[in-house]
Amino acid sequence: MSIKIENLVHIYNKGLAYETTALDNVSVEIGDGEFVGIIGHTGSGKSTLIQHINGILKPDSGRIVINGTDITEKSVKLSELRKKVGLVFQYPEYQLFEESVIKDIAFGPSKLGLSEEEIDLRVREAMDLVGLDYDEYGSRSPFDLSGGQKRRAAIAGVIAMKPEVLILDEPTAGLDPKAHSEMLAMLVRLHEKERCDIILVSHNMRDMAEITDKIIVMDKGKVALTGTPKEVYSQKDKLFEIGLETPPVMQFMKLLEDRGIKSEGLVMTMDEAEEEILKLLKKKDA
Amino acid sequence: MLRDITLGQYYPGNSVIHRMDPRFKIVATLVYIVGLFLVNQFIGFIFPLVCLVLAIAVSRVPLSFILRGMKPVIIILVCTFVVNIFMIDGGEVLVDFGFTDITSQGLKSAVFLASRLIMLIVVSSLLTYTTKPVMLTDGLESLLKPLKIVGLPAHELAMMMSIALRFIPTLLEETDKIMKAQMARGADFETGSLMNRLRGLVPILIPLFISALRRAEDLAMAMEARCYKGGEGRTRLHTLKFSGRDWVGTVIMVAMMVGIVITMN
Repeated sequence: MSIKIENLVHIYNKGLAYETTALDNVSVEIGDGEFVGIIGHTGSGKSTLIQHINGILKPDSGRIVINGTDITEKSVKLSELRKKVGLVFQYPEYQLFEESVIKDIAFGPSKLGLSEEEIDLRVREAMDLVGLDYDEYGSRSPFDLSGGQKRRAAIAGVIAMKPEVLILDEPTAGLDPKAHSEMLAMLVRLHEKERCDIILVSHNMRDMAEITDKIIVMDKGKVALTGTPKEVYSQKDKLFEIGLETPPVMQFMKLLEDRGIKSEGLVMTMDEAEEEILKLLKKKDA
Repeated sequence: MLRDITLGQYYPGNSVIHRMDPRFKIVATLVYIVGLFLVNQFIGFIFPLVCLVLAIAVSRVPLSFILRGMKPVIIILVCTFVVNIFMIDGGEVLVDFGFTDITSQGLKSAVFLASRLIMLIVVSSLLTYTTKPVMLTDGLESLLKPLKIVGLPAHELAMMMSIALRFIPTLLEETDKIMKAQMARGADFETGSLMNRLRGLVPILIPLFISALRRAEDLAMAMEARCYKGGEGRTRLHTLKFSGRDWVGTVIMVAMMVGIVITMN
């Protein structure tokens, strides 16, 4: 699905002493099948922005056009929109409430008016996608699971609605390294298998470099930078100005460069670094 | 959505009213309310009204903010007004509906009670608008201290109150977040039969209770880790001081009460 956001403005507590402009004239475009990352400091407007995409927040001005329809129009059915745009909030495990994992995942699909069989099928698929075994965990209480499993169960609840766009607000926050990399692997798998657009909000520069097609950098309610990871990370000075860093791999390559070992082009991910270093080593041997 | 309720909130500011001793503000509010109930004819409302207008002007809390706070109590106001206007008979008949009528006496007492109620609500909300919850409970604790002799756990009460107050915005925010999250999963809280709507609350209430309990446990642990063991021997960061502005306030309150008593018949 294509998402086009034009001149979006959102003001919290309008008219009060503590009025704050969370989004200030934001324009962004997200193409079909893209894996997009949104980076920014706390309070930069990331969460506010993504809540507009499925109609949970209404903008004060501006347009959001999804697949050609402007969702800020009054006639747009929000339930239809939410079927297409799945939103996973921060710490989604806190929204679990049912007595079993299956029932909790089925909550969303059952609101879509599907048949029992279809719901069961979707629950199975979703659990499979997030890597929770249906037979082992399905009938357990969601509150008995570990932190990482709880989160995956909660995300499965959104995936089971088969959204065409999946938005995740810091899905890796507070996870241990293993659960962290599992989560990312799951997102990549999901993106390939279900062919849905994924919008990922994160602080993690390394994750962004590894898995996204496009990065949007937010700062103080505005879009500061946008482009492919390479385009964004090559503007190091601008990133520093905002108070963000480049991925650790880039920092490492910079340290090598300071010692006179210059790499070709922008080396951003672990794989690229491996290749580059091997190349450099070979050159040295030769 | 839930954040629109301004009643009982604090409105940040640095006016004279904001800086007054919370003990004075609490007592003054109580005295003011007693005064409102002593007034028994319209002319007597002049004194409390002048004081209230003065207090609002000095506090610099915008009128729109105060009016917004009135929203949740409007229903109560309208109800008492309607009940009074129809139920009290006496004087000339102004409008006759046949089965019931509006009399001049009824209208008078309806307006009278409504103005008393409005002033009562505005003055008590002004107390919370201009006093930080922490200061409010500090003031309350200090005022309740003498009752320790009869076994009233003043410190514990104040601590419970300040914790409760402290968590209202947190829990509201949490509710807001959970509601949004469930809405994103297709939950619908606004349509359907009453039964369905009640059932719709389950996905909000269960996560909310779980998180409230978790927060309570964390807080208890954090307090213990910082050696909290009750009020005995505890010193405070902010000591309350009764200063010049509080004396001015006292004089104004006394003048108001004298005025009210004089105009009573």
